[in-house]
Amino acid sequence: MGSIRVISSALRPPKLRSAGREAGRLALAFVGALTVFGAFVIAKGANPLTVYSDMVRSTFFNSNSVAGVLVKACPLILAALAVAVPARAGLVNVGGEGQIVIGAVAAGGVGLALDTHVSGGMVIILMLLAGAAAGAIWAGIAGVLRLTLRVNEAISTLLLNYVAIDILLYLIYQPWKDPHGSGQPVTRQLAVPARLPLVGGTQVHVGIFIAIIATLVIWFLMERTSWGFRLRVVGGNSEAARRAGLPVNKLLLSAMLVGGALAGLGGMVHFAGAELQLRAGMTANLGYIAFLASWLARHKPINVAIAALLLASIAVAGDSLQINSGLPAATVNVLMGLVLVAVMGGWELRRKAVAA
Amino acid sequence: MSLVLDVAAGAVGGGTSILYAALGETISERAGVINLGTEGCMLVGALTGYAVAAMTGNPWFGVVAGAGAGGALAALHAMLVIERKASQLASGLVMLFVGLGITSLFGGSFVSRTINAFTPIALPGLSKIPGLGKVLFDHDALTYLSFLMAPAIWWLLFRSRWGLLIRGAGERGEVLAAYGYSPKTIQYLAVVAGGALAGVGGAQLSTAYTNSWFEGMTAGRGFIAVALVIFAAWDPLKAIAGAYLFGAALALSPALQARGYALNQFALDALPYVITVLVLVVLSRKRLHAAPEGLIRTLANAPVR
Repeated sequence: MGSIRVISSALRPPKLRSAGREAGRLALAFVGALTVFGAFVIAKGANPLTVYSDMVRSTFFNSNSVAGVLVKACPLILAALAVAVPARAGLVNVGGEGQIVIGAVAAGGVGLALDTHVSGGMVIILMLLAGAAAGAIWAGIAGVLRLTLRVNEAISTLLLNYVAIDILLYLIYQPWKDPHGSGQPVTRQLAVPARLPLVGGTQVHVGIFIAIIATLVIWFLMERTSWGFRLRVVGGNSEAARRAGLPVNKLLLSAMLVGGALAGLGGMVHFAGAELQLRAGMTANLGYIAFLASWLARHKPINVAIAALLLASIAVAGDSLQINSGLPAATVNVLMGLVLVAVMGGWELRRKAVAA
Repeated sequence: MSLVLDVAAGAVGGGTSILYAALGETISERAGVINLGTEGCMLVGALTGYAVAAMTGNPWFGVVAGAGAGGALAALHAMLVIERKASQLASGLVMLFVGLGITSLFGGSFVSRTINAFTPIALPGLSKIPGLGKVLFDHDALTYLSFLMAPAIWWLLFRSRWGLLIRGAGERGEVLAAYGYSPKTIQYLAVVAGGALAGVGGAQLSTAYTNSWFEGMTAGRGFIAVALVIFAAWDPLKAIAGAYLFGAALALSPALQARGYALNQFALDALPYVITVLVLVVLSRKRLHAAPEGLIRTLANAPVR
């Protein structure tokens, strides 16, 4: 009896009122997180109201910071989509960090080898291809291991993150190190024509369009094509999908490859648009933040992009903490964590409301 | 000292913090809850341990406080995944960010502080054994404690009534419930105990191994611990071997460099991760067979609703 009620209520179209309630709950979660974070700020001897107003003012009412948010959002949106696509098929991709790194390394290898020989536009196209291919291969390793040897992909992608970071470190400490630099373990900077062009007179590079286009394409693929539909069937019940004659393994692998390519693109965009050189710690946990953005938005492509933008603005707000309040920039991780705790804590309530 | 002994001694010293975290994660995963936030628990344990040691002058107080901090962060994870049914992987990563943030917020003032750290105690008699003595019996007190902790946790899990309940909660919670136990309570306790042990691991890192605190000092050791638990097939005794393998990889490159060998450090650093993936490949069927059933459900579950 109960299950029939659940099914019938799930079939009913969502009501505006429940959407409003959802928004209210999210707002409440956000306020709760801000309050707890405020307590931490007080414990550090700073005034939370000043801190918050500084954060908002310097993040959203300052053209450089708004540009900073958009620049940070580029790789984040792409890497978050890289979690969302496999998630639709029931796969857990925790390897965004490594796929970004490998994408950046591949783009860096191609870019730094060719930027003084070939025209800028050509280099950019080759870097895009190299980044996407490298990310796809990196995620594909985990995908193949899962399908042939049943190695859990959540664990293998996580481990491969560290291998990717070690590859980056190996390259920048030895073969690719800038011989004319100050001795720091970094590559030389990408030549100007090969960098992603800036939009208008702003600090934002065209990577943001790549991210937006990718979001729309993935939305279309997920919601409007048979590939997207089949992925969701496999993610819902892979055994049923197999009996219905779907090529489950091919679908799972395709989801993983597309995901990896997206994250690899994110690495390319981050390298050729923002960092312009390979250095240690250049990804700054972007892959893990992206994972959370995708979960926050329950893997719906458009919402994923919005969640990534939100987390990017929180991350950029961290810089204002450092400048205005003298708190370390990484402090903002507490705020981000608390927002996520509050939102996740509110999830079951929503599900109960649906079931009732 | 010969290279082998040097690396072996370094492996034990450097592997101890990972071992504590892996033992804790074994308990947690045996109860069916994976905690990627182990990294965060180690971080808060490292800072709390260091801070309390600096303020009280006694590193043992630091260890206890570190355990408390790690346990508290794990309790938040437990609440989200057990009460709120949040995704275990996502919630664990959130704990990582909370841990990173809290330690950077409160850690700044301890960066330049010095503490009464744990010092190596050469055990009389035992440390004189040729070779082995230097490797095993010339360490800090927390390392000796870990020698006892691993078999103790093995006994807890496989020979005690509590262990039966923990494993029951991880395999078939319904059965426990039918016998009148609360699987939720047992999972809570297991996750908090796991976080507390990760906190001890972090405290070992800051108050016994490096004798310092700096931001992000755990550098992925918590993630290694999570991988290690699978490598060790959820067995505390095998976790010892795994932890020292990782410790050896960490110790090998400085030992080689000290002898003038120019080996690329990063190829070596990647080795433990590659080995773990390979072990998973070779033993994948067996490993999955050994996994607690509740954990398989978690990892294989379709995350979309």
